[in-house]
Amino acid sequence: MKLILRTKNLVKHFDGVCAIDNLSINIERGTVTSIVGPNGSGKTTLVNILCGLLRPDRGEIELSDVRFHEFRSEEMITFKVTRTFQEVRLFNQMSVLDNILVVLTERSARQSFFEKHGEFHLERAKKILGKVDLWEKRNELAGSLSYGQRKLLEIGRMLAIDAKLVLLDEPFAGLFPEMVKIIVNIVKDLKAHEVTVILIEHDMSLVRELSDHVIVMDSGKLLAEGKPDEVLKRRDVIEAYLGE
Amino acid sequence: MEYLIHLAILIGIYVILSESLNLVVGYAGLLSVTHAAFYGIGAYATAICMTSLGVNFFLSLLIGIAVSVLVSVLMGFVLSRFRDDYYALASLGFNVIAFSVFLNWNALTGGAFGIPGIERPNFLGVVFSSPLAFLLLVAICVALVHLFSKFIVDSSFGRALKGIREDEEALRVFGYETHFYKLIIFAIGAGLAALAGSLYASYITYIDPTGFTINESIFILVIIILGGLANLKGSIAGAIVLVLLPELLRFIGMPNEIAAQMRQLIYGAMLVLLMLYRPKGFLGEYRI
Amino acid sequence: MLLPQLIANSLIAGAIYTLLAVSFSMAFRVTKFFNFAHGAIAAVGGYAVFFFLQAFATNAIIGIGVGILFAGVLGFLIEKCIYLPLRKRKSSNTVLLVASLGVFTIIEALLAILFSSQFQTLPSVFGLDATVEIFGAVLSGIQIVAIVASVLVTTGLVLFLRFTKFGKEIRAVSDSEEVSKIVGINTNALIGKVFLVSALIAGFAGMCAGFDTGIEPTMGLQLLLKGIIASIIGGLGSIYGGALGGFLLGFVENFGVWQFSGEWKDAIAFAVLILFLLLRPQGITKQ
Repeated sequence: MKLILRTKNLVKHFDGVCAIDNLSINIERGTVTSIVGPNGSGKTTLVNILCGLLRPDRGEIELSDVRFHEFRSEEMITFKVTRTFQEVRLFNQMSVLDNILVVLTERSARQSFFEKHGEFHLERAKKILGKVDLWEKRNELAGSLSYGQRKLLEIGRMLAIDAKLVLLDEPFAGLFPEMVKIIVNIVKDLKAHEVTVILIEHDMSLVRELSDHVIVMDSGKLLAEGKPDEVLKRRDVIEAYLGE
Repeated sequence: MEYLIHLAILIGIYVILSESLNLVVGYAGLLSVTHAAFYGIGAYATAICMTSLGVNFFLSLLIGIAVSVLVSVLMGFVLSRFRDDYYALASLGFNVIAFSVFLNWNALTGGAFGIPGIERPNFLGVVFSSPLAFLLLVAICVALVHLFSKFIVDSSFGRALKGIREDEEALRVFGYETHFYKLIIFAIGAGLAALAGSLYASYITYIDPTGFTINESIFILVIIILGGLANLKGSIAGAIVLVLLPELLRFIGMPNEIAAQMRQLIYGAMLVLLMLYRPKGFLGEYRI
Repeated sequence: MLLPQLIANSLIAGAIYTLLAVSFSMAFRVTKFFNFAHGAIAAVGGYAVFFFLQAFATNAIIGIGVGILFAGVLGFLIEKCIYLPLRKRKSSNTVLLVASLGVFTIIEALLAILFSSQFQTLPSVFGLDATVEIFGAVLSGIQIVAIVASVLVTTGLVLFLRFTKFGKEIRAVSDSEEVSKIVGINTNALIGKVFLVSALIAGFAGMCAGFDTGIEPTMGLQLLLKGIIASIIGGLGSIYGGALGGFLLGFVENFGVWQFSGEWKDAIAFAVLILFLLLRPQGITKQ
């Protein structure tokens, strides 16, 4: 087994409240790992730390065998890590197509200045928008899409980055079944292409269907981990959820 | 005819000012209220080089742009720490400081009296002294500025600017060093504003600090909001409308002193009405 | 210059900045946007007193009172006619800021059209221009009034916010407008009243500045910037922080002027602001 990500004794406080409490987890390459736990158990905080939006107070992160204490969000991309946001964060006053192109084209200011998107970028954008069924809407503003379409576009943007590790923060929340199905297939497809997926999800049937490994968090601590069927049966896990 | 050429030259200068500010405010979403400071830096640098050092206009123009870019990079380092309202306030502060320098550094800027006797451009013996010749020069500059701005907004760089405007943090997560982008576009805006300032100084042949106040920055802001943020054609249309509008006041026989205040009154009222009824302006593609 | 006079000058400037800062902060607490028209309202206070002192030549008290009231009502009307509709449209704070820039521009132009852009002085009433010497510093009547008023207004507002129902509602709205609505506070009416009080204080400050140094249409910008800077230094939204910031700015400016020279006053004030924004953006009083 080969690890893509491990955290060691990670700690993060907010105004005296401990959001992440001495958390050590290991994520295997090419697997789907679900992180479950009641609201406020620190799942989103963990994702925010992993993508560099928050600095941990203490602890280590090891990504593809490189050890960090913290890293800047701009550098995530060099380790082929990307994410989606729980509250959808699109570039609202830009077209759907531009929302995809912005992650396909050059990122460094020096190179992007002299680059115009070409056929090659359009081809890729077409393929990706096709997967999330939004190619027809490519010229509309992202902000004008329906909630579900916005969620799908965020998934599309994640795909466009061609990452090795993706962090999906509640990608299914509030979606109609047919949209859930599209995203389920995308996650399965990612796994088939050996992309590592970390999934935050509340729907246990989806967790069972998709994940190889489940991590249960409660009050910022690791409560349990293991195979989905075994972990989700455990009494302390059920109590942590129902105790809410 | 002279009068029409005069208006066309003024419009040209304001097109340069407004397109460059639109890059900063409309595309990158940085609410800069300090554009007149760079306009002034360009004007003063050119005027000083030409009158005190006898440098040719075109070299003075380049010096003006260089000084303005340098100042803007220093300002940009500070401004990059702020966003939205604080950005507006801090940038406005820089305009106040720049104005203080224009007004009070007597030895360099001539203080409140300003700098008279600036010559018209001279290129290898060809002097752009007639209004028509000067209009030609302005037209060339406007065309270059427009093409350059268009090149930027159509590039991947321009798309990233819009991304910064919409959600800078998310764009960083996707691997963009956004502070470079902000610094670069701010410096480009400053350089182009300085170009407008150089042209202005050489055209009017006399400058004083009153042309580079916060009110002037607000005026340029009104042009781009009226025409529409994140739309270069909007800035051209806005500049035409707002330069010509006050001329109508003079046309109906209003005394000059009152006309200047009426002009200010009108663009203040426009700003309020636009915010109330059409915050996107007329051709805008971005709503603040 | 002698030290006592330098201190006195700092206190005078500080008092006027304090009045502007606490009134600006109070409105900011409930609306959360930078009202760039605030200084223009102060200028209106100065001009209105100037005008009504002539209109009610026989009774200076009425002249001054009506003048300040005029500024207060104008502030209230601007809130009702411009800011309130914008808030109802869920406009961003930036939109409100840009609109207030427009209001500022309009007022400045109107004052110039109505009263000319010349510098003017207010007539002397009640011997406000008489001077006294205190510890070797010379102070005029209006300067003493300004200093006393700044202390009274600050303590008055702090007590008012802490102990009255209205004050508690203001604090509730400043914490969360949404929650305040749910618990039954008429937030729009409340914000209207806050703007009225805030503009009255600003008008009073404008009058003090007018009696002290004179009036000109551009004075609004100066007063606004000093008010905003003082309230940011002190901690935006905090009343006694505004007073602290106001006096601190008064001292820094006057001692700076003593070192350099008078023309650099505004530049010094902004340099202080930018330093604060960089090093301590939350101001002195907040954690």
